[in-house]
Amino acid sequence: MENSVNHEAAAQPAARTSKVAFGGKAGEFFGIWIVNLLLSIVTLGIYSAWAKVRTNQYFYGHTRVDNQPFRYLATPIQILKGRIIAVIIFALFFVLSSLSPMLTLVLALAFLFVSPWLIVQSLKFNLRMTSYRNVRFAFHGEYKGAFKYFVLLPVLSIFTLYLAMPWALKKMDQYLCSNISFGGKKLHVSTDTSTYYIAALVAMAAIFGLMMVFGILTAVVAVIAAFSGEAAESAEGRGIFALLLSGGVFVVYFVGFALSGAVYQSMIRNHLFERTELPGIAKFKSEMKVMPYMWLILSNLLAIILTLGLAYPWTKIRKAAYMASVTTVAVYPQIDSLVDQAQNDSNAFGEEAAGLFDVDVSLA
Amino acid sequence: MQSTNAISGQFQHSGSSTLYAASATLDAGGYLSVRCQQTNDMLAQAGTEDYRFGVVIPGLPVELRLRDGAVFVPDDNAFRWPQLSGRANLAARLESHKLSIVAAIVLSPLLLWWIIVDLMPMLASAAVPLVPDKVKQQMGEQTFYSLQQTVLSPTELPQPEQAMVRYHWQMALQQLHLQQQHYQLHLFKSEFFGANAFALPDGTVVITDDLVLLLKHNPDAILAVLLHEIGHVEGQHSVRLVAQSLGATLVIGIMFGNPEGVADLLLGSGSVLLQNAFSRDMEREADQFAIAQLTVLGKTPSAFADAMSALLAQHSEESAESSTLLKYLSTHPDTRERIQQATQPSQ
Repeated sequence: MENSVNHEAAAQPAARTSKVAFGGKAGEFFGIWIVNLLLSIVTLGIYSAWAKVRTNQYFYGHTRVDNQPFRYLATPIQILKGRIIAVIIFALFFVLSSLSPMLTLVLALAFLFVSPWLIVQSLKFNLRMTSYRNVRFAFHGEYKGAFKYFVLLPVLSIFTLYLAMPWALKKMDQYLCSNISFGGKKLHVSTDTSTYYIAALVAMAAIFGLMMVFGILTAVVAVIAAFSGEAAESAEGRGIFALLLSGGVFVVYFVGFALSGAVYQSMIRNHLFERTELPGIAKFKSEMKVMPYMWLILSNLLAIILTLGLAYPWTKIRKAAYMASVTTVAVYPQIDSLVDQAQNDSNAFGEEAAGLFDVDVSLA
Repeated sequence: MQSTNAISGQFQHSGSSTLYAASATLDAGGYLSVRCQQTNDMLAQAGTEDYRFGVVIPGLPVELRLRDGAVFVPDDNAFRWPQLSGRANLAARLESHKLSIVAAIVLSPLLLWWIIVDLMPMLASAAVPLVPDKVKQQMGEQTFYSLQQTVLSPTELPQPEQAMVRYHWQMALQQLHLQQQHYQLHLFKSEFFGANAFALPDGTVVITDDLVLLLKHNPDAILAVLLHEIGHVEGQHSVRLVAQSLGATLVIGIMFGNPEGVADLLLGSGSVLLQNAFSRDMEREADQFAIAQLTVLGKTPSAFADAMSALLAQHSEESAESSTLLKYLSTHPDTRERIQQATQPSQ
């Protein structure tokens, strides 16, 4: 990154390079989270729309690039509308699919065709509601592209025995990123297919290695138990061994899940950020490392389990802080004088009725 | 309304990323003026109708938004506009007040528990009568059809046993004044189910050959099993289970949002545990129905205990070791608990 910035510097004015800063505090967010949870319960879920907006505003507002925060602009009513629609769709789906197995199949097929629309709708809404330096982001993807990259390619890659899956994932990321624009300029993405294959292979190798280690350990324990004599013979001894084994399988499952996720995500994110730029406005760099990130995922999960969920706000803050700390953004002076022509806010208060589907149809 | 001294901050025009170091003043009438700090030029002016305060979030500055999309943000994160109404401040104050936080920690789990354990089943029971019979018929027929295609094969019981089961079935329906056309008894042989019986929402009751053979020397026990299944139909348990599971899934989904990745796993297993808990409650209800009706029919409730004992003896291996942990993973109550329930009233 340093090199490329210096190289570009000849043609462009100097960039201001800085790490993304995250200023959220676990204690502060804990209060927001728990009070909003209570209010959501008391209002039978209605307040959850306000809770979501407040949470997003907290995280966006505390995330700063070049010392300027992001802003989340959605109103609770928009979120509430989207949730009501989502609840109705979900309930219909749930009830109809419990009526008959045949209907479930038909509905699943129907969902396959509706989901690209929902994805595009959600991306458009969420990016339009994200603003940086009073300029909004936008998503330009349409149904056709989303259907191709989120349904068609993944389904087709099943027929290649998943051999084409990393390529499909690369296409998916490319579709997502290259359709995002800021201040009227689209992100430019030039990712390599090979990196996706390497990331998938390394992730698989990591799981494989973990299973080997676990297998060898189990064998060693079994042999030691057999040689120590009676313990292995008694039903009690065998019971303890079975308990240890199932406990081990559980732990390996979670560690494997975290490890493969950490390997794939950090490799892909680093590559994607390296190869993505907002021409003339910003360049990005991500320096995720596998082990710290895996530890983050595992310890967060453990903390949530051990505190019966109370650690959730702390884990969320911790993850956001980590993600910010491994991300660097270089902004060029042009960012100081962007004018979003398309952004014609005739009324920034959003008082006029928005379209019925100017919402994010989502439960979460 | 009081006036505010010049507040320093940054100003941006609508849709523009250009930043101005600016100071904002609100006069006694609430009229806003924003001036550039360097040039002292007027950047924006607005009456109370044309600007709004942003949302108050702990730890973040409260911005001023103008109708045209311009925005002024104070430099001081802790600064709160004196003109803000108490209502606008309320959420943030609750979120940072110790007392309300402690109250939320105590009340949230209690209320959530109450909603899922008491309120949901209550609402589900209330909603069930609203479900048209036609829907229940559809549910039953569709499930029955797929089971017949997959795991059920024609009965191989000798005629006398078949007649014996049907006789008890008819007797139960007649004496309990149940609407006969609602109920259909079927005998099937099934490797998959083993010794078992089940009911479908449309009143279809299936008892397997293995179970009849297991209980053939104790016809009252067969009657007890049939009554248990009738109890499921009368209580409309299938529909209630769907309604309750839907409710619980929605509550968990909306309250906790979609915690990414790993937490999904936890929520997934959580809803399975819940569904099993609902299922156990309904088994208990059907047990109670069977025990009560046995008395009405002039039989001893211990016939139900006999049926359970026979089943318990058959899978003694698994059931004997039912630990407390397994209890939460099971869709049925502990068999010994069920036997106890059936023997208690007669003691």
